[in-house]
Amino acid sequence: MEQEDSKVLDLVKELVTRLLNSPSNSNPNDNTNTNSTKQSLKYAIRILSSRMTPSIGVDEAAMADSIKRQLATQGKTSDALIFADLYSKFASKSGSGSVNNKWAVLYLLKTIADDRKKGKIGSETRVGNGFLLPNLNVGGKGVIRGFENGGKVGSWDVSRNGERVEKGWDGGVLLVSKDPSNMREMAFREFGNLVKEECEVSEEVLVRDVLYASQGIDGKFVKFDKSVDGYVLAESVRVPRATRIMVRKVCELGWLFRKVKGYVSETVKSLAAEDVGTVGQAFCAALQDELTEYYKLLAVLEAQSMNPIPSVTESVSSGNYLSLRRLSVWFAEPMVKMRLMALLVDNCKVLKGGAMAGAIHMHAQHGDPIVHDFMKRLLRRVCSPLFEMVRTWVLEGELEDIFMEFFVLGQPVKAESLWTEGYQLRSAMLPSFISQSLAHRILRTGKSINFLRVCCKDRSWADAATEAAAVTGTTTRRGGLGYGETDALESLVTEAARRIDKHLMDVVYRQYKFKEHCLAIKRYLLLGQGDFVQYLMDIVGPELSEPANTISSFKLAGLLESAIRSSSAQYDDPDILDRLRVKMMPHNIGDRGWDVFSLEYDARVPLNTLFTESVMTKYLRIFNFLWKLRRVEHALIGVWKTMKPNSIAFTKLPEAVKLQLILASRRCQVLWDEMNHFITNLQYYIMFEVLEVSWSNFSSEMEAAKDLDDLLAAHEKYLHSIVEKSLLGERSQSLYKTLFVLLDLVLRFRSHADRLYEGVNELQARTVESSLPSRDKPNRQSSKKTPVPGSWLGEGRKAITQRAGEFLTHSGQEIDTISKEYSTLFQGFISQLPTSQNSTAVHHNIVSSYKRNSTMKWVQIWLHRVP
Amino acid sequence: MPREIITLQVGQCGNQIGMEFWKQLCLEHGISKDGILEDFATQGGDRKDVFFYQADDQHYIPRALLMDLEPRVINGIQTGDYRNLFNHENLFMSKEGGGAGNNWASGYHQGKSVEEDLMDMIDREADGSDSLEGFVLCHSIAGGTGSGMGSYLLETLNDRYSKKLVQTYSVFPNQNEISDVVVQPYNSLLTLKRLTLNADCVVVLDNTALNRIAVERLHIANPSVSQTNSLVSTVMSASTTTLRYPGYMNNDLVGLLASLIPTPRCHFLMTGYTPLTVERQANMIRKTTVLDVMRRLLQTKNIMVSSNARTKEASQAKYISILNIIQGEVDPTQVHDSLQRIRERKLVNFIEWGPASIQVALSRKSPYVQTAHRVSGLMLASYTGIRHLFSKCLSQYSLLRKRQAFLDKYRSFPLFDDNDLSEFDESREIIESLVDEYKACESPDYIKWGMEDPDHILTGEGNATGSVDPSLAI
Repeated sequence: MEQEDSKVLDLVKELVTRLLNSPSNSNPNDNTNTNSTKQSLKYAIRILSSRMTPSIGVDEAAMADSIKRQLATQGKTSDALIFADLYSKFASKSGSGSVNNKWAVLYLLKTIADDRKKGKIGSETRVGNGFLLPNLNVGGKGVIRGFENGGKVGSWDVSRNGERVEKGWDGGVLLVSKDPSNMREMAFREFGNLVKEECEVSEEVLVRDVLYASQGIDGKFVKFDKSVDGYVLAESVRVPRATRIMVRKVCELGWLFRKVKGYVSETVKSLAAEDVGTVGQAFCAALQDELTEYYKLLAVLEAQSMNPIPSVTESVSSGNYLSLRRLSVWFAEPMVKMRLMALLVDNCKVLKGGAMAGAIHMHAQHGDPIVHDFMKRLLRRVCSPLFEMVRTWVLEGELEDIFMEFFVLGQPVKAESLWTEGYQLRSAMLPSFISQSLAHRILRTGKSINFLRVCCKDRSWADAATEAAAVTGTTTRRGGLGYGETDALESLVTEAARRIDKHLMDVVYRQYKFKEHCLAIKRYLLLGQGDFVQYLMDIVGPELSEPANTISSFKLAGLLESAIRSSSAQYDDPDILDRLRVKMMPHNIGDRGWDVFSLEYDARVPLNTLFTESVMTKYLRIFNFLWKLRRVEHALIGVWKTMKPNSIAFTKLPEAVKLQLILASRRCQVLWDEMNHFITNLQYYIMFEVLEVSWSNFSSEMEAAKDLDDLLAAHEKYLHSIVEKSLLGERSQSLYKTLFVLLDLVLRFRSHADRLYEGVNELQARTVESSLPSRDKPNRQSSKKTPVPGSWLGEGRKAITQRAGEFLTHSGQEIDTISKEYSTLFQGFISQLPTSQNSTAVHHNIVSSYKRNSTMKWVQIWLHRVP
Repeated sequence: MPREIITLQVGQCGNQIGMEFWKQLCLEHGISKDGILEDFATQGGDRKDVFFYQADDQHYIPRALLMDLEPRVINGIQTGDYRNLFNHENLFMSKEGGGAGNNWASGYHQGKSVEEDLMDMIDREADGSDSLEGFVLCHSIAGGTGSGMGSYLLETLNDRYSKKLVQTYSVFPNQNEISDVVVQPYNSLLTLKRLTLNADCVVVLDNTALNRIAVERLHIANPSVSQTNSLVSTVMSASTTTLRYPGYMNNDLVGLLASLIPTPRCHFLMTGYTPLTVERQANMIRKTTVLDVMRRLLQTKNIMVSSNARTKEASQAKYISILNIIQGEVDPTQVHDSLQRIRERKLVNFIEWGPASIQVALSRKSPYVQTAHRVSGLMLASYTGIRHLFSKCLSQYSLLRKRQAFLDKYRSFPLFDDNDLSEFDESREIIESLVDEYKACESPDYIKWGMEDPDHILTGEGNATGSVDPSLAI
């Protein structure tokens, strides 16, 4: 073994010496020779002892086949045949002296052949196969030599080389090992010359130019051409087409760079003019950073481009040079990024703020991990001002948005409309990665803070905000959030919203006693406090019967005051009572006080956010309706008082008059009963079905309300339900009108009934007067005996009877007329009721899932027994 | 202007039930036996000033006048726990102190003779109130003072305060036990006349039914007067809750009564109450919902008027009006459902000549009185069946009158001197017409009742000239 090893070593040594010496036979220099020989020897041994193997399977026959086929496809059928013949001979050789590793030999030959073919097409590929070539030249020596030798030698070389190979085959042994000549090297040199001939400019120059171009600077040959909108190699320069295309391709980066850079510098310029939003600024900064990265790369590349490009013939182990091809590889990644940036610049140039972030976000939905990472990095930067805005808004209620970028838009409004109109969502500025519902929550949270601050004069909300921030783990300091942490943002917002809203609810309920005020409104404006309403009705009643223009609202205010003082309302919170006012509506000619009087509740800041003007208008309408109903009820009670059981004693009346009176008064009573029944049941309906039911729904919703919006909605629903159910809604307009006519009729009935009973009382008084003498027995007897007083009495009696008859007939007819009118109107009202209820069935569904046709049922109840 | 109501307690029975009533009111309003507001009852919301007024030292004093012709009961009050509650000027005891001897005529006559004193007290009380709503009279109709002096008071009040309401809580005698007052039918009849003519509303408290309820419902073998009186005080306080705890509706007496009494003559109301307990008696706790309460109120066994009519006639009886005062934690949404159920089951028979339905008043419960049940209810109803009670009174009277029994007692008084018993006849006539009116209410033609030939009367010339006043013709 040792013997064999040393034998191989000797052989290699000889091979190296030969290879090295043969081309430079003319001037053998021992010193250099030994030196370089030693180096090459070492190198050769290293290669041989290395275990490098080609990456294809060891198959001798297949290799031979592939060569044969290659020859055949190239049209060299005869060569192929010859090769087949030669190979069969080569393969059959065995034994000593023959080649053991036949496959390796074949592979070597094929590779060389392939390599040479490629070498002709472009100058680049030769780099790759360097390790297989038996070219052991080191340093720049070979290249220089190649240039020195000139083209003709090259061409000769090639032809000779071909001969040699054929010769080699002829001999059936590998000539390479035997032949020390440098034909291969010469071929490369010749190739290099060819390449050089084709190119007017060297590749190094081109690479440098391309590098310039990729920084947006015109190079010597590569210049920006406006007509084609890109960097191109000047037409005048003669280069191979491939190179031209390559340059063009690589220079795309330059074009993109120009674009991005242009945008950035433009933005920076307009920065002074305060024209660029913070998001735009962040975007620019992010782009700038990306460009810096890119500059770094360029710097490295530029350094590399200083290294000369080795020619085909040279082999550079370090590879630390830059060719166009290498450049294109280097540029592959920056190209992707730059392209993205340019795209973003294009898309976002006109946008700002949230819209910009949204637009950028649209591009982040990419499967490519590089793109994805890049976009994420970019978006983090871009969104940070936006998220910062969200944070300050949600935790501090501050709207730091001088560039109008945030998706919350603040408007200067009065305190009472701060909640409803003060802040709005600007959907254009809402980035798509923030959902609509989240945006609403964000809006509301900040709004709540502002509401607390401005309207409620509350300071303690900050604690809630800090708490919320502490819980979510983000400090309330800046920069806690970033893009991609939408979950974190959401949890922050949710947490902040929960706490702020809870705090707001607390403030509204506890400090500002919302529920108490609602209850107060229910008690006073919706007439729930019966005794108060009664006194008020009693004392303002006479006043309100006057023409509207003669009524002093100061006087009414005084009456209101005394109604409060004398009812159990006096025990109520003075703050609440203080808010109760008399309101006189604008009046027309002929209006009575009844038409213009109403009560008003001064909600004040901040509750006027809930009790807005429109809400109070609704309350006013309900009040007017209920007040009217009350007035009618009051009138009916008044009628009852005049005909109450112990007020009429018919006993002293003549029989005929008595019967007539009974008839008239019974008609009156029955009509009264009908009216009273209707009014009472209407009141019951209002109380049980409308007010109380709505209130109990509202109460439970009030408990459940998590934020002011919920509360507003609940209150709105409460009011709406009352309005709809008490026939004040749009759909029951005609019904309401009929009802009002009906109520007015009842009021008219009152005056008729009053007149009737006035007459009756007068009659009674006269009768009693006339029969007074007969009250005690002695007189009675005497009156029977003495004719004079008797006849006087008789005549008076007759006259009274006569007059009473006329009066009662007249009154009876009046009552009858009213009765007829009433029943017509009432039937009309009832017949209208079902249809209008049906049409509001939808409404009812919305208003109360509780009972659909509750009104109907009530009507049925009060219709009970009415034909 | 709290719509004050002045309570007049007349006679033994009147003062007893009155006292129970005031005890109950004091409890409900958190007023101590001395008239001082308890510490726990300082927050407002209730209306104490309807029945009380405040003295200069902030004591609450009932607007009550205690009147009797014999000193026993009032003396008892004066020495009892509540001696400091009433205004001593408001106590009236006859100087003779002999009582009325269960004689209506005596009570009436004595009432007349002390009219000035009585009216002074009443006027003083009335002047002390801003907007007097009316009077409540507590009495029994069978005895002497309550019936006789009560009757006189009714007439006087009607005359002097004709615009004010007069409501009475009238205790009718127990007809199942033999009374020691033999002239009971006379007294009852004479009082009934005044109740019919001079009162605006009579709440009938039938001792027969009260005893029955005490025995059957409360399982007390021999109910004492104080036990039945506590039933009465429960009814009285419950019927005034809407006045004392203001709500959306029925905040004054007139509003309460107007719907109940559409026909002036038929102003006798019967009551029902559920669930009944007597003085913290350990009663089993029942399920009380609005529907339960309303249904139970319609059951005869809970009604405090005995219906001693035969079944056939009883089935004819109809309700003219019903008001249920529901107290306690009531979900207003239940009310409608309950009414609906009752209507569907046809549990109530209403009059046919006009609209009628069960009316409901919701009222708060006093926070200071603890009860085992969530909801309690009082029914006030105008019911035609009540006429049988009057018919019974009439028949009892007729029996007695036929025998001319015990009339001497009456003849010794001015109203009946010279053997003039027309007062009896007139009373009988009026009660009969009252019974007729109730009976007529049961028919759908009530409106035309009594008008068989109205046109003839209206047009007949000759008739008008020669007509004789029936009252004069007697």
